[in-house]
Amino acid sequence: MHREVGRGEAILEVRGLTKIYPGGVVALDNVDLEFKSGEIHAILGENGAGKTTLMNILFGVLQPDRGEIYVHGRKVRFRSPLDAINMGIGMVHQQRKLIPAHTVLENIILGHPEAGKILDFKKVRRDIEELCRKYGFKIDLDARVWQLSAGEQQLVEILRALYRGAKILILDEPTSVLTPLETEAFLTSLKSMSRQEIALVPFVTHKLPEVFAISDRVTILRRGKVVKRIETKDATMKALAEHMVGKEVLFVLSKPKVSIGGEILKVENLSAMNDKGLLALKNVSFTIREGEIFGIAGVSGNGQQELAEVLAGLRRVETGRIIFMGRDITNASVLERLKMGIGYIPSERLGVGVIGGFSLAENILMSLYFDKEFVNRGLLNYKKIREYAEKVISEFEVVAPSINTKAAYLSGGNLQRLVLSRVIPKTSKLLIANLPTTGLDIAATEYVRKRLLECKEKGMGVLLISDDLDEVLQISDKIAPIYEGRFVSILQAEEAQKEVVGAMMTGAYSER
Amino acid sequence: MWPFIARSLEVATILLIAAVGELLNQRSGVINVGIEGLMLLGAAAGFIAALFWGLIPAFIIGMLIGGLFGLVHAILSTSLKVNQVVSGMGIWLFAMGFVTYWADRYSGPLPRGVVSPRIYELSPMFFIALIIVVVIWFILSKTHLGLKVKSVGENPFAAEVSGVKVIRTRYLCTIIGGMLAGLAGAFLSTTYLGAWSHLPTKGLGWIAFALVMFSLWRPLILLGGALTFGFIWQFAISPETIYAGIPAPLPLLRMLPFVATIVVLTIISREKFRRKWALSRPEALGEPYIKE
Amino acid sequence: MTSLETLKLKLERVPVVSGGQAVRISLLSLVFSFIIFSIFLSIEGANPIDAYSNIFSFALDPNLGLPTTLHRGLFLLFSTLAFVVAYSARLWNVGMEGQFYLGTIGAFAVAYSLPELHPAILIPLMLLAGAIFGAGYGALAGFLRGKLNVNEVVGCLMLNNIAFWLVYLLTVGGPWAGIAESTSRPLPPNAHAPIISYTPFTSYLAIGIAIVLYIFLSKSVVGYKIRVLGNSPTAAQHIGINAPRTYILVMTIGGAIAGLSGYHMWAGDPAFLMIPRPEAYKAIGDLTYWGLIIGLVCLLNPVAAIPTSVFIGSIMMGSTVLVRRLRLPFGLDVLFLGLVSITFAAFQFFYMYKVRRMK
Repeated sequence: MHREVGRGEAILEVRGLTKIYPGGVVALDNVDLEFKSGEIHAILGENGAGKTTLMNILFGVLQPDRGEIYVHGRKVRFRSPLDAINMGIGMVHQQRKLIPAHTVLENIILGHPEAGKILDFKKVRRDIEELCRKYGFKIDLDARVWQLSAGEQQLVEILRALYRGAKILILDEPTSVLTPLETEAFLTSLKSMSRQEIALVPFVTHKLPEVFAISDRVTILRRGKVVKRIETKDATMKALAEHMVGKEVLFVLSKPKVSIGGEILKVENLSAMNDKGLLALKNVSFTIREGEIFGIAGVSGNGQQELAEVLAGLRRVETGRIIFMGRDITNASVLERLKMGIGYIPSERLGVGVIGGFSLAENILMSLYFDKEFVNRGLLNYKKIREYAEKVISEFEVVAPSINTKAAYLSGGNLQRLVLSRVIPKTSKLLIANLPTTGLDIAATEYVRKRLLECKEKGMGVLLISDDLDEVLQISDKIAPIYEGRFVSILQAEEAQKEVVGAMMTGAYSER
Repeated sequence: MWPFIARSLEVATILLIAAVGELLNQRSGVINVGIEGLMLLGAAAGFIAALFWGLIPAFIIGMLIGGLFGLVHAILSTSLKVNQVVSGMGIWLFAMGFVTYWADRYSGPLPRGVVSPRIYELSPMFFIALIIVVVIWFILSKTHLGLKVKSVGENPFAAEVSGVKVIRTRYLCTIIGGMLAGLAGAFLSTTYLGAWSHLPTKGLGWIAFALVMFSLWRPLILLGGALTFGFIWQFAISPETIYAGIPAPLPLLRMLPFVATIVVLTIISREKFRRKWALSRPEALGEPYIKE
Repeated sequence: MTSLETLKLKLERVPVVSGGQAVRISLLSLVFSFIIFSIFLSIEGANPIDAYSNIFSFALDPNLGLPTTLHRGLFLLFSTLAFVVAYSARLWNVGMEGQFYLGTIGAFAVAYSLPELHPAILIPLMLLAGAIFGAGYGALAGFLRGKLNVNEVVGCLMLNNIAFWLVYLLTVGGPWAGIAESTSRPLPPNAHAPIISYTPFTSYLAIGIAIVLYIFLSKSVVGYKIRVLGNSPTAAQHIGINAPRTYILVMTIGGAIAGLSGYHMWAGDPAFLMIPRPEAYKAIGDLTYWGLIIGLVCLLNPVAAIPTSVFIGSIMMGSTVLVRRLRLPFGLDVLFLGLVSITFAAFQFFYMYKVRRMK
């Protein structure tokens, strides 16, 4: 599987790269790296390890405080991304840098130095079709980008970089949004590109297995320093993860034994539309009992979001019923549901789960403002609110100078703790957790999972929606793989095999 | 009947020139609610220039002052990241004060010598307006520059990594938008009215602003909107030229263009249109570009 | 973080501006606009220092300008509060002009139809009618925004123009037409506002409303809901806040406040006591847009808006001496106001950024 390493010539080299942010945070500390043509060289690191800073420096978005960059052995300085692009560096962003309302072709041609004043779409089309043939890509050049899947959009970014003559491609979390099927195809195309003497540099936080499968070499960053360089064939997954985190990683959480109690939620033949007015959730039925975690495994965009929103009262039900504690709440408002003890952890933290411009106390208030205990004749009882906020914030270990700190100053993991501290204490029966660990580093992920298990221990029902199959398998009691808005099956955790669930959530099951 | 139509087409000319400029800067992501103010400034500058130098300098100077304040808006909203509504309102309030101070002393009609040429009672500026619209349509849909403008209005971050100069593009569009608003103002005061009276735009700028929203940001739809509202505006001013015995009292009719605007806005804001509207609305409209 | 490399200046994002900083920035912007205006004064052959001392000594002299300063300043306060309450939910209430006209219509309708009523009943009735008319007009814009999704800036401006012609319809040759050309009949004596130390009692009403609004926004549940909605409509939806209803609510409250200023303006100033000619009431209507500027300068703090409004009122009143006493060209006073407003807008920049010189 692995080819011999170090065969190609070095395209890009950095020496002694150092970046210190105002306030003294050392984001990169004396980093040396070398990227060779025809090689896949993965950079691993947790959130905050300095990956983003490194990427931004390589692409000319940021300038290093010290250190040199060499392209084909020549010392260069990037003042802007344009300089980097002109030096043959291409970047595939995690947050897509494409224009959704424009066609694929328009996105590829935009800003190209040889495009000409009046656009000649015919010529560009020929060139790009040629590129697609060379690398075995398939894509509709006239489709608007918003119509494309995440994988196709990634392809557009790659095509754009190649069309600009990129010799080295930096890929930010390339597989994080792909379906397993897409991932497979994507990895194949990476291989074919690396055979064409292009250097590939995937940056990865999670999803270690994929890196393992394709890379030739791995460099691990921790706290701005290179802590390990290793050829993939000499490495093990466990060792890589250890180097990333710097301590023994617990990949297994112990699931507490809890007796399953009475029925909390019963959903019957539920259907709902998505924002585009298409049926996104189709005839879903299931029940959640006390002390049970019901995990929904699936690739984003298969109706999970709609299901979560319907249950939280944010989206209209087309057909079907929702019964909560024996009551029909199909048409109940969000507020009624909150008062009944249904908690919702939204997938977006800043701006939905919490408000950046509000203090921690005011954020906590989002779950209290309708509670008689904290309101006195229409006025808020700030004394009580502050006491309560102090309590839950220390209970959930939110790290902040005080409860008057604005939430905007908190980091990702801390922000999610704040969301949990707001939602969980006010949830008595059912917790809906929508992508609760996406984008968090390993330590924060572990923390969130522990808290979900605690809810289960307390006898709540938990609906866990996740695109991380391992997470669902680890902490759920029942697992429902969702595909195109339907539950493919509902499995007991003990009988669920990873391969089977994986196949089910990608629609591959019926064929096997 | 024809004199009435010719006058309506001249109102449409004002709306069209101003609105197509606003359309351009909105396509690049910059809202300019100061368009009424820019028109006022252009009207004042144009009128005064016409008094001293004649019509062609009037249009040029109207355009220049519009462009100058377009530049002010660009500096405030693009470089200084001031909220675009605040910046536009500030310019509008300033324009009201400045124009009162500057031009009200010249109140009254233009002297006989400065009469704009008319072809069958219609100013040739109408045809120039049509040409401007077609040119802007061509730039937006066929050229690389147009693609850059649209990309900057949709997603400046994506545009930047493709090598588009976001700030420069927004400056360009906002200045051109200002120039066109200034030109529209100069045409209003020198040709359509041919006289100066206190703050002569009377809400036309706001109608032009609304027209941009109606047009789904497409120049050719804008043309239709401008013609319709030109007709409504002129009808509200001189209904008797259409139908001598019109019974409604004048002020009631003057509300018509504004009521019509609300009606159209309500219709296009409905669920059915909204999706289409949301798709054509520049995604980054009104948002400053802040690199983190 | 942006850096202007050539100037060696560095811009730093300021996450939250404090009240003290806002005061400093506003003072700085005033100084700046005063300097710019000095240029115009010099062009017109006036000595700037002389002009400014004239402006403020006139505006603050109890026997000369002070009553009007307070009257106009607190008129601006009504507009500011109308803007602030809506903008707390991030709605641009630029419909204060129309709401003020409608409030005028409401108050005058009561006064004309019940001129014999005892002032103690008539005046509250006029205020009530003004508030209701203004509230209704605000609610209309709120309804268009909340339920029909019509952009509130354009919607409000159209409504403003409609309201202008509505007043015109009633006064110029209409049922309320007076003897003088294009103005309304005078208000009956019973409708005149009692004056309490230089200023009509409605000025104190405005101050009272500012304080109540402050408490409402910062301490009440409804105020909290408005602020959540203003900060994040999605978050508001997730915690069960009804956005359309809240939008209508804030526009209604804003409309009511702006509506009250109809009575304050015409019945509170002995110089008016009627609806003047269209240009004159339009000029007053245009002043309402100051509500937006003052509201933002004061960081939406209703209490801070009290002194700020009065200060702007003093500029407004005082600068009339330029024309009347110093015989400078007409319009110079409005130009001054325009300059103040555009520099205030420009200085909003410093609410977001700090400029640092790099070492």
